[in-house]
Amino acid sequence: MIKIYSLLFLCLANFMSQHALAAPPEQYNFLPYHKALKQASEDHKPIFLYFGRYGCNTCLKMHKEVFSNPMLRQTMSARFVLAYVDTESGNRIRLDNGERTTEMQFASRSRILGTPTFIYFSEEQKPLFKKSGFQTIAQMHQYSDFVSQGHYKTTALKQYLSSE
Amino acid sequence: MKYTALLVAAWVSMLSPGVFADWQFSQPIAVTRKAVNGIYHHLEGAGRIHIATSGNRIAVLWEDDSSGDPQIYLALKTRDDPDFNPAIKVSSGDEAYEPAIASLTDGRFVLVWEQDGSIYASTFSEQSLSKPLKLSAKSLASHSSVATYNDQIYVVWREQQDETWSLQIARLTTTQKQEIELLSIRPVEAQPVNTPVLFPSLATNGKGLYVAWEDRTAGHTRLKFSFSANQAKSFIEPQYLNEFYSNRTEYDRGNGVTRVSIAGFGEDEIVAAWMDKRRSGGYGIFASIGSDGAFGPNEKIHGPKGDKLPHSNPATSGNVNDETVVVWDDYRNGDSDIWLTSLDEDGEWGENFSPAIAAGPGEQSHASVALDETGGLHLIWIERDNPLEPTRLWYSYGK
Repeated sequence: MIKIYSLLFLCLANFMSQHALAAPPEQYNFLPYHKALKQASEDHKPIFLYFGRYGCNTCLKMHKEVFSNPMLRQTMSARFVLAYVDTESGNRIRLDNGERTTEMQFASRSRILGTPTFIYFSEEQKPLFKKSGFQTIAQMHQYSDFVSQGHYKTTALKQYLSSE
Repeated sequence: MKYTALLVAAWVSMLSPGVFADWQFSQPIAVTRKAVNGIYHHLEGAGRIHIATSGNRIAVLWEDDSSGDPQIYLALKTRDDPDFNPAIKVSSGDEAYEPAIASLTDGRFVLVWEQDGSIYASTFSEQSLSKPLKLSAKSLASHSSVATYNDQIYVVWREQQDETWSLQIARLTTTQKQEIELLSIRPVEAQPVNTPVLFPSLATNGKGLYVAWEDRTAGHTRLKFSFSANQAKSFIEPQYLNEFYSNRTEYDRGNGVTRVSIAGFGEDEIVAAWMDKRRSGGYGIFASIGSDGAFGPNEKIHGPKGDKLPHSNPATSGNVNDETVVVWDDYRNGDSDIWLTSLDEDGEWGENFSPAIAAGPGEQSHASVALDETGGLHLIWIERDNPLEPTRLWYSYGK
């Protein structure tokens, strides 16, 4: 009986882990890009766009060590509409020019060099800056403050970060 | 002596990359009308086979939203025609995506596409399309591709049933009235898998049928392939096509790969090309040559210039005369241009070559090719001013 339960558990754990890899970090309400655009227009919120890849090691490291932080999760969820793009998927999305294409093609045309790549947009859905690779919890808070508190309107990101 | 050796080396180096050095491409011919705001053409099908030749005919198949929704269109010309005929709408339904085309004998073609979650096939002969035949069952189906050999037709697609995925392969033939007739359908793998399978590519040669696809069961995307030597009645156990690369960190599952394209060439050879992220700086274009149900080592085929930039959308083609070509797009010269390479007589990949008609200002991308039996290269691609602008399809013939 124990053997059967162990096998069932292993199967379930394997199933869950495979699915977790494809997804953005847990307990965040990440939306497909086109749905995030619509949501942001309705909520008048800036967008945090996350380009990830299935099985990307730095993405998984950030999920475990950064995005799992409760305060960051609360801040990001409150301040931004969150969008996730799987850079290898065939998921269909509608771009803001009306074109329908796949997430992979959107990432390719956005010239994403690696994952994770994060693009922050203003409330007016204007891209503000891009960050690639591992980011710490503190850095993520700084970027969040820079956008949501409107510092980008008067200050360059580099200048803001050095003053912080 | 040293001077003579240097001269010889220089002479040899001038010769060796020369596979495409003498290629000339015709003035481009528009497949679709001038770009119009809000209309976007796509060559994004599984295996990227959007052009085929049969007899004197050239056929191009794509998706665009000129009707208001994504639908599939076919345009044809003869080799002598200066222009393509007006496009024929192939699909019906609400939305259709990711078509593929292959040649039959006597100026005929077979077309496959996804329409509202099902896979359809049709033939074009004389001046008309046959009634589309729905191939997929009740499950959600997508990512279809097609290959032919001596008028035998094979179609592959993926099906999703609840939370499992599988690849299905149909064997088809045509009736005297040119209608599609279904002979068999079977899965490639014995059991469905719990992770998505994506964008299968299909190819045939004198030895059998190959299928290659994206598989996620390893926790990251790997390319798998399988082979059937008995007309899709059975398949070998799937094998890995791309070599495994990992940084060996606590979290690392392995590098990314995506969008494989395969084509048969010669009597019994097969070429595969794909996007591979085994080095920093985005995806490179890697390829492998195979035969007898197996593939050889992976080779990086994009050139050193722009090596650390992303490369996208590889497509392959081959002919019975042992020639094969791979095309893709990258922006090593600033904007996106079409690039290609080919195997030379020694089996080495030649230098990258960018046809001037598919390069320069603006974005030229998403090439698809058909290498005919005379070694002529039929090339189509998408042109747009920038990545968000409306699009247009172009054709050129290289010799």
